[in-house]
Amino acid sequence: MGPALKQNLKRKVAHTLDLPSEVLLDQATIHLMGDAEVHIVNHKGLVGYTRDCIKTRSIQGMIEVMGSNLEIVSFSSSEIRISGKIRQVMLT
Amino acid sequence: MISLWMWWYGYVTVRLRGPGLERLLNKMAELDIVLHKVERPTVDVMLARLKVKDFRRLRPLLWDSQISVSILDKHGAPFFFGKFRHRTFLAIGLLVSLALMSYLSNFIWFIEVSGGESIPTEALKEVVADLGLRSGVARSVVQPRLIEGVLLKQFPTLAWAQVKMKGTRLEIVLTERDQPQGEYTGPGNLYAAQDGVVTEVFVLRGTAKVRVSDTVRQGDLLVSGEYYDAHGRKQSGAAQGVVKARVWYEGVGEAALTRWEPIYTGKSHRQYLVTIGSIKIPLGRSAPKETHIPSEREWQLSLGRAMVPLRLTEINYREVEYQKVSVPRQEAERIALQLAWESLLRQGVEREQVREERQRVDFLADGDGIRVTVQVEVLGDIGLFRTH
Repeated sequence: MGPALKQNLKRKVAHTLDLPSEVLLDQATIHLMGDAEVHIVNHKGLVGYTRDCIKTRSIQGMIEVMGSNLEIVSFSSSEIRISGKIRQVMLT
Repeated sequence: MISLWMWWYGYVTVRLRGPGLERLLNKMAELDIVLHKVERPTVDVMLARLKVKDFRRLRPLLWDSQISVSILDKHGAPFFFGKFRHRTFLAIGLLVSLALMSYLSNFIWFIEVSGGESIPTEALKEVVADLGLRSGVARSVVQPRLIEGVLLKQFPTLAWAQVKMKGTRLEIVLTERDQPQGEYTGPGNLYAAQDGVVTEVFVLRGTAKVRVSDTVRQGDLLVSGEYYDAHGRKQSGAAQGVVKARVWYEGVGEAALTRWEPIYTGKSHRQYLVTIGSIKIPLGRSAPKETHIPSEREWQLSLGRAMVPLRLTEINYREVEYQKVSVPRQEAERIALQLAWESLLRQGVEREQVREERQRVDFLADGDGIRVTVQVEVLGDIGLFRTH
Protein backbone atom coordinates (compact mmCIF):
# COMPACT_ATOMS: atom_id res chain seq x y z
CA MET A 1 0.00 0.00 0.00
CA GLY A 2 1.41 3.39 -1.06
CA PRO A 3 1.84 6.27 1.43
CA ALA A 4 -0.87 8.38 -0.24
CA LEU A 5 -3.36 5.52 -0.09
CA LYS A 6 -2.43 4.89 3.53
CA GLN A 7 -3.06 8.54 4.44
CA ASN A 8 -6.39 8.47 2.62
CA LEU A 9 -7.47 5.39 4.50
CA LYS A 10 -6.42 6.89 7.84
CA ARG A 11 -8.36 10.06 7.05
CA LYS A 12 -11.50 8.02 6.30
CA VAL A 13 -11.12 6.02 9.54
CA ALA A 14 -10.63 9.22 11.54
CA HIS A 15 -13.70 10.75 9.90
CA THR A 16 -15.85 7.66 10.46
CA LEU A 17 -14.82 7.20 14.11
CA ASP A 18 -14.82 10.96 14.77
CA LEU A 19 -11.24 10.90 16.02
CA PRO A 20 -8.94 13.98 16.01
CA SER A 21 -7.16 13.79 12.67
CA GLU A 22 -3.86 15.18 14.00
CA VAL A 23 -3.51 12.13 16.26
CA LEU A 24 -4.24 9.47 13.68
CA LEU A 25 -2.72 11.18 10.69
CA ASP A 26 0.26 12.65 12.56
CA GLN A 27 -0.66 16.03 11.18
CA ALA A 28 1.16 19.15 12.31
CA THR A 29 -0.74 21.59 14.52
CA ILE A 30 0.14 25.25 14.46
CA HIS A 31 -0.87 27.53 17.35
CA LEU A 32 -0.40 31.21 16.68
CA MET A 33 -0.57 33.52 19.70
CA GLY A 34 -1.07 37.07 18.45
CA ASP A 35 1.94 38.05 16.41
CA ALA A 36 4.47 37.16 19.10
CA GLU A 37 4.56 33.39 19.43
CA VAL A 38 4.02 30.23 17.34
CA HIS A 39 3.89 26.62 18.60
CA ILE A 40 4.31 23.93 16.01
CA VAL A 41 3.41 20.45 17.25
CA ASN A 42 4.19 17.25 15.31
CA HIS A 43 6.94 18.73 13.18
CA LYS A 44 9.28 16.43 11.32
CA GLY A 45 12.51 18.37 11.72
CA LEU A 46 14.10 21.76 11.33
CA VAL A 47 15.18 22.73 7.84
CA GLY A 48 16.36 26.32 8.18
CA TYR A 49 16.78 28.86 10.92
CA THR A 50 17.54 32.55 10.51
CA ARG A 51 16.28 35.58 12.41
CA ASP A 52 13.78 36.29 9.59
CA CYS A 53 12.61 32.83 8.64
CA ILE A 54 12.27 29.45 10.33
CA LYS A 55 11.44 26.43 8.16
CA THR A 56 10.22 23.09 9.49
CA ARG A 57 9.15 19.91 7.78
CA SER A 58 5.76 18.27 8.40
CA ILE A 59 3.55 15.55 6.91
CA GLN A 60 1.61 18.23 5.03
CA GLY A 61 4.72 19.88 3.63
CA MET A 62 7.00 22.73 4.64
CA ILE A 63 5.90 25.16 7.35
CA GLU A 64 7.54 28.56 7.00
CA VAL A 65 7.35 31.14 9.78
CA MET A 66 8.44 34.58 8.60
CA GLY A 67 8.98 37.74 10.60
CA SER A 68 11.73 39.58 12.43
CA ASN A 69 13.85 38.84 15.51
CA LEU A 70 12.69 35.24 15.41
CA GLU A 71 14.07 32.93 18.07
CA ILE A 72 13.50 29.30 18.97
CA VAL A 73 12.36 29.36 22.58
CA SER A 74 12.37 25.57 22.86
CA PHE A 75 13.03 22.73 20.49
CA SER A 76 12.15 19.07 21.02
CA SER A 77 11.27 16.09 18.83
CA SER A 78 7.57 16.93 18.90
CA GLU A 79 7.35 20.68 19.38
CA ILE A 80 8.98 23.95 18.36
CA ARG A 81 8.15 27.18 20.14
CA ILE A 82 9.07 30.32 18.24
CA SER A 83 8.97 33.88 19.52
CA GLY A 84 9.53 37.21 17.78
CA LYS A 85 7.54 39.52 15.53
CA ILE A 86 5.60 37.12 13.33
CA ARG A 87 4.35 38.38 9.97
CA GLN A 88 3.46 35.25 8.02
CA VAL A 89 2.98 31.51 8.53
CA MET A 90 2.97 29.52 5.27
CA LEU A 91 2.35 25.90 4.36
CA THR A 92 4.11 25.04 1.10
CA MET B 1 11.73 30.59 29.48
CA ILE B 2 14.12 28.60 31.55
CA SER B 3 12.09 26.75 34.15
CA LEU B 4 12.87 26.50 37.83
CA TRP B 5 13.36 22.75 37.41
CA MET B 6 16.04 23.33 34.84
CA TRP B 7 17.80 25.69 37.22
CA TRP B 8 17.54 23.10 39.97
CA TYR B 9 19.08 20.31 37.84
CA GLY B 10 21.60 22.65 36.23
CA TYR B 11 21.97 23.65 32.60
CA VAL B 12 24.69 24.88 30.29
CA THR B 13 24.84 27.43 27.51
CA VAL B 14 26.65 25.86 24.56
CA ARG B 15 28.01 27.30 21.35
CA LEU B 16 27.70 25.07 18.29
CA ARG B 17 29.90 26.05 15.39
CA GLY B 18 30.08 24.47 11.95
CA PRO B 19 28.03 23.58 8.87
CA GLY B 20 24.63 21.85 8.97
CA LEU B 21 23.57 22.92 12.42
CA GLU B 22 19.88 22.26 11.68
CA ARG B 23 20.73 18.60 11.00
CA LEU B 24 22.43 18.36 14.38
CA LEU B 25 19.41 19.89 16.09
CA ASN B 26 17.17 17.26 14.47
CA LYS B 27 19.50 14.47 15.60
CA MET B 28 19.41 15.86 19.13
CA ALA B 29 15.61 15.96 19.00
CA GLU B 30 15.58 12.28 17.99
CA LEU B 31 17.50 11.53 21.19
CA ASP B 32 14.85 13.49 23.15
CA ILE B 33 17.28 16.26 23.98
CA VAL B 34 15.28 19.43 24.56
CA LEU B 35 16.95 22.71 23.65
CA HIS B 36 15.94 26.06 25.09
CA LYS B 37 16.47 29.60 23.89
CA VAL B 38 18.20 28.67 20.67
CA GLU B 39 19.87 31.75 19.16
CA ARG B 40 21.52 32.12 15.78
CA PRO B 41 23.94 35.06 15.82
CA THR B 42 25.67 34.01 12.57
CA VAL B 43 25.14 31.40 9.84
CA ASP B 44 27.61 28.91 11.31
CA VAL B 45 27.02 29.59 15.00
CA MET B 46 24.14 28.64 17.28
CA LEU B 47 23.78 29.21 20.99
CA ALA B 48 21.49 26.93 22.97
CA ARG B 49 20.71 25.97 26.54
CA LEU B 50 20.37 22.35 27.56
CA LYS B 51 20.38 20.25 30.69
CA VAL B 52 23.74 19.02 31.99
CA LYS B 53 22.78 15.37 31.59
CA ASP B 54 21.72 16.03 27.96
CA PHE B 55 25.06 17.67 27.25
CA ARG B 56 26.82 14.36 28.03
CA ARG B 57 24.62 12.63 25.43
CA LEU B 58 25.50 15.26 22.85
CA ARG B 59 29.16 14.21 22.49
CA PRO B 60 28.58 11.00 20.40
CA LEU B 61 26.57 12.99 17.83
CA LEU B 62 29.58 15.18 17.07
CA TRP B 63 32.11 12.43 16.44
CA ASP B 64 31.51 12.18 12.70
CA SER B 65 30.62 15.82 12.06
CA GLN B 66 32.56 19.03 11.52
CA ILE B 67 30.65 20.80 14.25
CA SER B 68 32.50 21.90 17.36
CA VAL B 69 30.82 22.50 20.68
CA SER B 70 31.98 24.56 23.62
CA ILE B 71 30.40 25.49 26.94
CA LEU B 72 29.97 29.23 27.34
CA ASP B 73 28.33 29.30 30.74
CA LYS B 74 27.07 27.05 33.48
CA HIS B 75 23.94 27.82 35.43
CA GLY B 76 21.77 26.33 38.11
CA ALA B 77 21.87 24.87 41.57
CA PRO B 78 24.65 22.24 41.09
CA PHE B 79 27.08 24.92 39.94
CA PHE B 80 25.93 27.46 42.51
CA PHE B 81 26.35 25.08 45.43
CA GLY B 82 29.50 23.60 43.89
CA LYS B 83 31.24 26.95 44.46
CA PHE B 84 30.91 26.44 48.18
CA ARG B 85 32.53 23.00 48.17
CA HIS B 86 35.99 24.50 48.65
CA ARG B 87 34.79 27.58 50.56
CA THR B 88 33.25 26.06 53.63
CA PHE B 89 33.58 29.15 55.77
CA LEU B 90 31.97 31.34 53.13
CA ALA B 91 28.98 29.02 53.09
CA ILE B 92 28.86 28.93 56.87
CA GLY B 93 29.17 32.74 57.00
CA LEU B 94 26.36 33.11 54.48
CA LEU B 95 24.10 30.76 56.40
CA VAL B 96 24.93 32.38 59.73
CA SER B 97 24.30 35.89 58.39
CA LEU B 98 21.00 34.77 56.83
CA ALA B 99 19.97 33.18 60.11
CA LEU B 100 21.06 36.30 62.01
CA MET B 101 19.18 38.60 59.66
CA SER B 102 16.11 36.43 59.89
CA TYR B 103 16.37 36.44 63.70
CA LEU B 104 16.98 40.20 63.96
CA SER B 105 14.04 40.97 61.68
CA ASN B 106 11.77 39.69 64.47
CA PHE B 107 12.50 42.82 66.49
CA ILE B 108 11.48 46.45 66.26
CA TRP B 109 14.58 48.58 65.68
CA PHE B 110 13.14 51.88 64.51
CA ILE B 111 10.27 53.83 66.05
CA GLU B 112 8.92 56.77 64.05
CA VAL B 113 6.29 59.26 65.15
CA SER B 114 4.40 61.49 62.76
CA GLY B 115 1.80 64.12 63.64
CA GLY B 116 0.90 65.28 67.14
CA GLU B 117 3.21 68.31 67.00
CA SER B 118 1.79 69.89 70.14
CA ILE B 119 2.48 66.81 72.26
CA PRO B 120 5.82 67.11 74.11
CA THR B 121 8.27 64.54 72.80
CA GLU B 122 9.48 63.61 76.27
CA ALA B 123 5.95 62.92 77.48
CA LEU B 124 5.25 60.77 74.44
CA LYS B 125 8.52 58.87 74.91
CA GLU B 126 7.67 58.25 78.55
CA VAL B 127 4.21 56.86 77.77
CA VAL B 128 5.58 54.68 75.00
CA ALA B 129 8.43 53.41 77.20
CA ASP B 130 5.96 52.55 79.98
CA LEU B 131 4.19 50.30 77.48
CA GLY B 132 7.48 48.47 76.91
CA LEU B 133 7.99 49.89 73.46
CA ARG B 134 11.66 50.56 72.78
CA SER B 135 14.24 49.82 70.13
CA GLY B 136 15.05 46.11 70.23
CA VAL B 137 11.68 44.88 71.51
CA ALA B 138 10.30 41.69 69.93
CA ARG B 139 7.55 42.23 67.34
CA SER B 140 5.40 39.56 68.95
CA VAL B 141 5.30 41.52 72.24
CA VAL B 142 4.02 44.73 70.66
CA GLN B 143 0.25 45.21 70.91
CA PRO B 144 -0.67 48.03 68.51
CA ARG B 145 -4.32 48.29 69.62
CA LEU B 146 -3.31 48.59 73.30
CA ILE B 147 -0.75 51.31 72.52
CA GLU B 148 -3.32 53.23 70.46
CA GLY B 149 -5.83 53.07 73.32
CA VAL B 150 -3.31 54.26 75.91
CA LEU B 151 -2.12 57.13 73.71
CA LEU B 152 -5.68 58.36 73.15
CA LYS B 153 -6.34 58.16 76.89
CA GLN B 154 -3.11 59.87 77.95
CA PHE B 155 -3.33 62.72 75.44
CA PRO B 156 -6.87 64.09 75.26
CA THR B 157 -5.92 66.44 72.40
CA LEU B 158 -5.55 63.41 70.13
CA ALA B 159 -8.41 62.56 67.82
CA TRP B 160 -6.82 59.46 66.33
CA ALA B 161 -3.77 57.27 66.87
CA GLN B 162 -2.51 54.43 64.74
CA VAL B 163 0.38 52.06 65.36
CA LYS B 164 1.70 50.27 62.28
CA MET B 165 4.48 47.71 62.09
CA LYS B 166 6.41 47.58 58.84
CA GLY B 167 9.19 45.03 59.08
CA THR B 168 11.54 46.21 61.79
CA ARG B 169 10.02 49.70 61.79
CA LEU B 170 7.14 50.84 63.94
CA GLU B 171 5.19 53.91 62.94
CA ILE B 172 3.01 55.89 65.32
CA VAL B 173 0.66 58.17 63.41
CA LEU B 174 -1.09 60.79 65.53
CA THR B 175 -3.81 63.24 64.57
CA GLU B 176 -4.88 66.03 66.87
CA ARG B 177 -8.31 67.55 67.26
CA ASP B 178 -8.96 70.99 65.84
CA GLN B 179 -9.37 73.48 68.66
CA PRO B 180 -12.87 75.00 68.67
CA GLN B 181 -12.90 78.63 67.56
CA GLY B 182 -14.78 81.57 68.96
CA GLU B 183 -15.63 79.99 72.28
CA TYR B 184 -17.15 82.38 74.79
CA THR B 185 -14.70 82.91 77.62
CA GLY B 186 -16.46 85.60 79.65
CA PRO B 187 -16.58 89.40 79.51
CA GLY B 188 -13.59 91.11 77.98
CA ASN B 189 -12.28 93.81 75.60
CA LEU B 190 -10.39 94.01 72.36
CA TYR B 191 -6.94 95.60 72.74
CA ALA B 192 -4.39 96.65 70.14
CA ALA B 193 -1.87 93.88 69.55
CA GLN B 194 0.58 96.40 68.06
CA ASP B 195 1.05 100.04 67.09
CA GLY B 196 -0.78 101.30 64.00
CA VAL B 197 -3.19 103.70 62.32
CA VAL B 198 -6.79 102.51 62.32
CA THR B 199 -8.35 102.15 58.87
CA GLU B 200 -11.52 100.19 59.64
CA VAL B 201 -13.65 99.51 62.72
CA PHE B 202 -16.38 96.89 62.66
CA VAL B 203 -18.06 96.02 65.95
CA LEU B 204 -20.17 92.90 66.42
CA ARG B 205 -20.55 93.20 70.17
CA GLY B 206 -19.44 96.02 72.47
CA THR B 207 -18.60 99.70 72.01
CA ALA B 208 -15.91 101.06 69.67
CA LYS B 209 -13.32 103.16 71.51
CA VAL B 210 -11.33 104.22 68.44
CA ARG B 211 -12.19 105.78 65.12
CA VAL B 212 -10.78 105.50 61.63
CA SER B 213 -7.40 107.33 61.25
CA ASP B 214 -6.74 107.18 65.02
CA THR B 215 -3.19 106.26 65.96
CA VAL B 216 -3.08 103.50 68.52
CA ARG B 217 -0.28 102.06 70.63
CA GLN B 218 0.14 98.45 71.61
CA GLY B 219 -2.24 97.64 74.49
CA ASP B 220 -4.72 100.49 73.80
CA LEU B 221 -8.40 99.66 74.21
CA LEU B 222 -10.09 99.27 70.82
CA VAL B 223 -13.52 97.80 71.54
CA SER B 224 -15.01 97.67 75.01
CA GLY B 225 -17.16 94.72 76.05
CA GLU B 226 -19.69 97.06 77.66
CA TYR B 227 -22.72 98.11 75.68
CA TYR B 228 -26.35 99.15 76.15
CA ASP B 229 -29.10 96.75 75.09
CA ALA B 230 -32.41 97.59 73.42
CA HIS B 231 -33.94 98.52 76.81
CA GLY B 232 -31.10 100.91 77.59
CA ARG B 233 -29.56 98.66 80.23
CA LYS B 234 -25.82 98.48 80.53
CA GLN B 235 -24.47 95.04 79.67
CA SER B 236 -21.01 93.57 80.00
CA GLY B 237 -19.94 90.86 77.53
CA ALA B 238 -17.13 89.63 75.37
CA ALA B 239 -16.20 92.31 72.85
CA GLN B 240 -16.28 91.05 69.27
CA GLY B 241 -15.28 92.86 66.13
CA VAL B 242 -12.60 93.64 63.59
CA VAL B 243 -10.25 96.59 63.90
CA LYS B 244 -8.01 96.90 60.89
CA ALA B 245 -4.99 99.16 60.97
CA ARG B 246 -1.91 100.07 58.99
CA VAL B 247 0.95 98.44 60.84
CA TRP B 248 4.70 98.74 60.29
CA TYR B 249 7.19 95.97 60.66
CA GLU B 250 10.94 96.07 60.43
CA GLY B 251 13.26 93.24 59.46
CA VAL B 252 17.05 93.35 59.47
CA GLY B 253 19.44 91.06 57.65
CA GLU B 254 23.23 91.09 57.56
CA ALA B 255 25.69 89.42 55.19
CA ALA B 256 29.47 89.32 55.05
CA LEU B 257 31.43 90.70 52.08
CA THR B 258 34.00 87.91 52.36
CA ARG B 259 33.69 84.21 52.99
CA TRP B 260 35.87 81.16 53.44
CA GLU B 261 35.42 78.72 50.59
CA PRO B 262 36.62 75.12 50.61
CA ILE B 263 38.98 74.14 47.79
CA TYR B 264 39.37 70.41 47.23
CA THR B 265 43.01 69.26 47.35
CA GLY B 266 42.24 66.01 45.52
CA LYS B 267 43.08 63.79 48.48
CA SER B 268 40.32 61.67 49.97
CA HIS B 269 39.89 59.06 52.61
CA ARG B 270 37.15 56.45 53.05
CA GLN B 271 35.58 55.05 56.12
CA TYR B 272 32.85 52.41 56.41
CA LEU B 273 30.27 52.17 59.12
CA VAL B 274 28.34 48.98 59.84
CA THR B 275 25.15 49.68 61.77
CA ILE B 276 23.37 46.80 63.48
CA GLY B 277 20.29 48.19 65.20
CA SER B 278 21.59 50.98 67.40
CA ILE B 279 25.18 49.70 67.42
CA LYS B 280 27.61 51.41 65.04
CA ILE B 281 30.87 49.71 64.14
CA PRO B 282 33.33 51.97 62.27
CA LEU B 283 35.73 50.27 59.85
CA GLY B 284 38.72 52.51 59.27
CA ARG B 285 39.63 55.91 60.66
CA SER B 286 37.60 59.06 60.34
CA ALA B 287 39.12 62.39 59.28
CA PRO B 288 38.97 65.80 61.04
CA LYS B 289 35.90 67.77 60.00
CA GLU B 290 37.89 71.04 59.94
CA THR B 291 39.97 69.93 56.97
CA HIS B 292 37.66 67.39 55.33
CA ILE B 293 34.17 67.44 53.86
CA PRO B 294 32.36 64.13 54.32
CA SER B 295 29.78 62.69 51.92
CA GLU B 296 27.79 59.60 52.75
CA ARG B 297 26.28 56.72 50.82
CA GLU B 298 24.08 54.26 52.55
CA TRP B 299 22.84 50.75 51.86
CA GLN B 300 20.00 49.33 53.89
CA LEU B 301 19.58 45.60 53.76
CA SER B 302 16.03 44.46 53.20
CA LEU B 303 14.40 41.10 52.69
CA GLY B 304 11.45 41.79 50.44
CA ARG B 305 9.35 44.33 52.28
CA ALA B 306 10.98 43.62 55.61
CA MET B 307 13.71 46.03 56.64
CA VAL B 308 16.65 44.26 58.23
CA PRO B 309 18.49 46.28 60.87
CA LEU B 310 21.76 46.02 59.02
CA ARG B 311 23.08 49.12 57.30
CA LEU B 312 26.38 49.87 55.60
CA THR B 313 27.46 53.49 55.27
CA GLU B 314 30.37 54.64 53.17
CA ILE B 315 31.78 58.00 54.28
CA ASN B 316 34.07 59.66 51.80
CA TYR B 317 36.20 62.37 53.44
CA ARG B 318 37.53 64.80 50.82
CA GLU B 319 40.38 66.98 52.01
CA VAL B 320 39.88 70.73 51.58
CA GLU B 321 41.81 73.93 52.13
CA TYR B 322 39.83 77.04 52.98
CA GLN B 323 40.47 80.22 51.01
CA LYS B 324 39.14 83.67 51.72
CA VAL B 325 37.14 84.99 48.76
CA SER B 326 35.27 88.22 48.40
CA VAL B 327 31.53 88.22 47.86
CA PRO B 328 30.15 90.66 45.25
CA ARG B 329 28.14 93.45 46.83
CA GLN B 330 24.97 92.49 44.89
CA GLU B 331 25.15 88.95 46.20
CA ALA B 332 25.73 90.12 49.78
CA GLU B 333 22.77 92.49 49.44
CA ARG B 334 20.61 89.69 48.10
CA ILE B 335 21.52 87.43 51.05
CA ALA B 336 20.96 90.22 53.59
CA LEU B 337 17.61 91.08 51.98
CA GLN B 338 16.56 87.46 52.11
CA LEU B 339 17.49 87.30 55.82
CA ALA B 340 15.58 90.52 56.49
CA TRP B 341 12.51 89.06 54.83
CA GLU B 342 12.89 85.84 56.81
CA SER B 343 12.86 87.97 59.95
CA LEU B 344 9.67 89.72 58.75
CA LEU B 345 8.00 86.39 57.95
CA ARG B 346 8.85 85.19 61.45
CA GLN B 347 7.04 88.26 62.82
CA GLY B 348 3.92 87.11 60.98
CA VAL B 349 4.09 89.33 57.90
CA GLU B 350 2.61 87.87 54.74
CA ARG B 351 3.97 89.17 51.45
CA GLU B 352 0.47 89.49 49.95
CA GLN B 353 -0.56 91.90 52.71
CA VAL B 354 2.30 94.34 52.13
CA ARG B 355 1.09 97.77 50.95
CA GLU B 356 4.39 99.58 51.03
CA GLU B 357 8.00 98.49 51.34
CA ARG B 358 11.13 100.52 52.12
CA GLN B 359 14.71 99.26 52.05
CA ARG B 360 17.89 100.75 53.48
CA VAL B 361 21.39 99.42 52.86
CA ASP B 362 24.25 100.21 55.29
CA PHE B 363 27.81 99.02 55.58
CA LEU B 364 28.73 97.48 58.90
CA ALA B 365 31.19 99.36 61.11
CA ASP B 366 34.08 96.96 60.37
CA GLY B 367 33.49 97.38 56.62
CA ASP B 368 33.38 93.62 56.14
CA GLY B 369 29.62 93.28 55.87
CA ILE B 370 26.38 94.78 54.75
CA ARG B 371 23.10 95.36 56.57
CA VAL B 372 19.73 95.58 54.85
CA THR B 373 16.80 97.00 56.77
CA VAL B 374 13.34 96.37 55.31
CA GLN B 375 10.34 98.29 56.58
CA VAL B 376 6.93 97.19 55.39
CA GLU B 377 3.47 98.52 55.91
CA VAL B 378 0.68 95.99 56.07
CA LEU B 379 -3.02 96.15 56.66
CA GLY B 380 -4.17 93.75 59.33
CA ASP B 381 -6.57 93.01 62.17
CA ILE B 382 -4.84 94.25 65.32
CA GLY B 383 -7.62 93.36 67.77
CA LEU B 384 -6.61 91.03 70.59
CA PHE B 385 -9.24 89.78 73.01
CA ARG B 386 -8.45 89.78 76.72
CA THR B 387 -10.79 89.08 79.59
CA HIS B 388 -11.11 91.58 82.45
